[in-house]
Amino acid sequence: MLIEVPEARFVLSMLWHYVAVTASQASPWFDADKLPTLIAALISIIIVLYTTYHRSSREKFKMREIAGLKAVEEAIGRATEMARPVLYTPGWGGDIQRPTTIASMNFLSHVAGKTAAYDCTLVYPTHDPVLMAVAQEVARESYARAGYPDRFRSENISYVTSSQFGYAAAVDGIISRLKPASIFLLGTFEAESLILAETGNSVGAIQIAGTDSTIQLSFFIVACDYTLIGEELFAASGYLSGDRSILASVRAQDILKVLIGLLLVIAVIWSTIDALSGHAGSGWWSF
Amino acid sequence: MKKIETRHWTFLGLFVCIGLVMLSDVKLDIPVSAQTRKMYDFIDSLPAGSVLMVSFDHEASSLPEIRPIGLVILRHAFSKGHRLIGVALLAEGTVIGYRLMLKTAAEYGREYGKDYVYLGFKPQYIAAILSMGESIPRTFPRDYLGRPYEQFALLREVDNYDDITAVISITDGSLTTHWMEYGGARYGVRVLSGMTAAMVTTFDPYVASGQMHSLVAGLRGAAEYERLINRKGGGERGMLAQTTAHLYVIGLVLLGNVIYFRSRRKRKST
Amino acid sequence: MNRKVALGVCFIFGLVMFAQYFSQHPTARSVNQAILEYWQIIFAFTLLVGVVSVFKNNVVQIRRGQDRSYRLITLAGLVAMPFLAFIWGIKADTPFMWVFENIQAPMQSTVFALLAFFVASASFRGFRARSIPAAILLLSALIILLSRSAIGTFIFPQMTEVADWIRNYPSMSARRAILIGIGLGSLTTSMRVILGIERTWLGGGK
Repeated sequence: MLIEVPEARFVLSMLWHYVAVTASQASPWFDADKLPTLIAALISIIIVLYTTYHRSSREKFKMREIAGLKAVEEAIGRATEMARPVLYTPGWGGDIQRPTTIASMNFLSHVAGKTAAYDCTLVYPTHDPVLMAVAQEVARESYARAGYPDRFRSENISYVTSSQFGYAAAVDGIISRLKPASIFLLGTFEAESLILAETGNSVGAIQIAGTDSTIQLSFFIVACDYTLIGEELFAASGYLSGDRSILASVRAQDILKVLIGLLLVIAVIWSTIDALSGHAGSGWWSF
Repeated sequence: MKKIETRHWTFLGLFVCIGLVMLSDVKLDIPVSAQTRKMYDFIDSLPAGSVLMVSFDHEASSLPEIRPIGLVILRHAFSKGHRLIGVALLAEGTVIGYRLMLKTAAEYGREYGKDYVYLGFKPQYIAAILSMGESIPRTFPRDYLGRPYEQFALLREVDNYDDITAVISITDGSLTTHWMEYGGARYGVRVLSGMTAAMVTTFDPYVASGQMHSLVAGLRGAAEYERLINRKGGGERGMLAQTTAHLYVIGLVLLGNVIYFRSRRKRKST
Repeated sequence: MNRKVALGVCFIFGLVMFAQYFSQHPTARSVNQAILEYWQIIFAFTLLVGVVSVFKNNVVQIRRGQDRSYRLITLAGLVAMPFLAFIWGIKADTPFMWVFENIQAPMQSTVFALLAFFVASASFRGFRARSIPAAILLLSALIILLSRSAIGTFIFPQMTEVADWIRNYPSMSARRAILIGIGLGSLTTSMRVILGIERTWLGGGK
């Protein structure tokens, strides 16, 4: 292989150095140390645009089944039969700028449409006033799209407090008093996750959770009925709604994962050879 | 009256176990881990007068765990003659950090303005971290008590992260990630952290990859650090409660599995 | 029209912040600094939205007679704290800080402490060795728990090393894989927002 040849590795590292120096000299505006990040970002942008807009890429592709998403309909149906509300909360850790919160809003759109159709109460407490405003608009639009704009109640989507455990106490209080039949815990959660999940468990609610925090994921897996792990949360709304742009993003993520995997394999082999041969090496993988 | 369920008994059991142990005078011998020693060695090896920024990125709720960590780090830094700049990126950490700095500085006879300054709270932590990378006086034109930045001898030497040896983030959440992503990756500032034990697994990959220099984890980390600086601060006492709770949970898990396997065997036999 | 303006502003600022990340030029850095300052000012105004919402919701619920006493306490706190702050300030040793340190902080610590009890009940309910992988997971959890207590090394001298190995190798590999997935999800979602493909943040609709 090319990288086994010391001369080839030397030439490649010199080439890399030349590109970086030229880039910084060509414009004092550009920080050459960030060249690898720029290349990675541009590749990612091209892949996202390709999967979103290229005709052949927009053909429908199959997503694997995700148990938590299949249970959404069942959860809302259960709440309707028991005449108890559905509670949906996005957690304390995120605000509207976080991608996880945006993924949660997409999910909310779907859940709100279902609760509108089934005439089931949707309760949405949140810690952020901007989130509250966005959630109200998302839900209002979903209710209107479902054909039931009159069923929307803006007072059910409320801001409680920005304090973490004030928020946890408030949501716990809502769960204890209203005893929702179904609880959706989707967004960025911190230490309040298990408090909410256990309280939901104590009232006998079916719980579907998803978060981007690996720690809180483990709490949710123990305490909730269904958990969306990692990027399943981002894929969730595409799975439920069939939204092409979200599905295109999922496809872009898959392509990027393959590229990252290839990069990892190449870097591992390269660094192993460098280490075994006693070569100083370029260390390009540690950018 | 509401029916007492199994979970109520588990709650009561935990309360009784910890209550009984805390009333006793048990002393624990806690060996020092490599993880805690790494931060200790770093702060210990810095030349006297090094400038460290300590950021109180936590809420009041985690005070029982965070306070021993903050105390022990501040004590070590002041004892070595380092100069500290205190900030808070979460509102609730503001007065807690201020009081901790005042208390520990007084223990070592440190002078405000010369040996340490407390700048107070800045909202929108990502913006604050990025902004300090450009200019700390522009981000905090006044200290916590409203006095101008230029008034202080320590601050006149500090313009941005280039003039700071390291940032120590005392946190109960994931705010340290932003220190690494924005302060470390963009401006090259070295990041250390004291954090609650629950957050350690989040940051292990960052320590392994070198993005974070080192961390002190939870009450155990605080207890280990107290041993290194030979000064108590609540960590060791807290470890007593923590150890009891851990043993109780282990007991519950084992009991739960015994019940599970017995009922499974019963179902198979019938 | 409003949505087009919002999308345009989002795209321009997204592009500017993306571009300035790769530059150390003084102009790029001052643009960055200015935008960050504006961000902090805008954030302060969003808090007003929250205050108005809390006030409105609680007044409506009080009129309906729902949980009246609790809601009156909420409103009393909402009014009292700014009053104390305006009159005496918010530095240490003011009435505002006394309320924070002696009422709010202990209440928050109390709710946080519930976590310990809930961990106990969740562990008792959830940790079952139903299969071989579950048994391995259970054993790993027990080792980690013991290593974080003070007596772990007395039971088994190499407890800490074994626990560190579990944390640093199998556990970290799994976490890194999940983090890569989450990172890619965040990346594509952020790009969709900047490029105007994702419009949920505008409040629903396409």
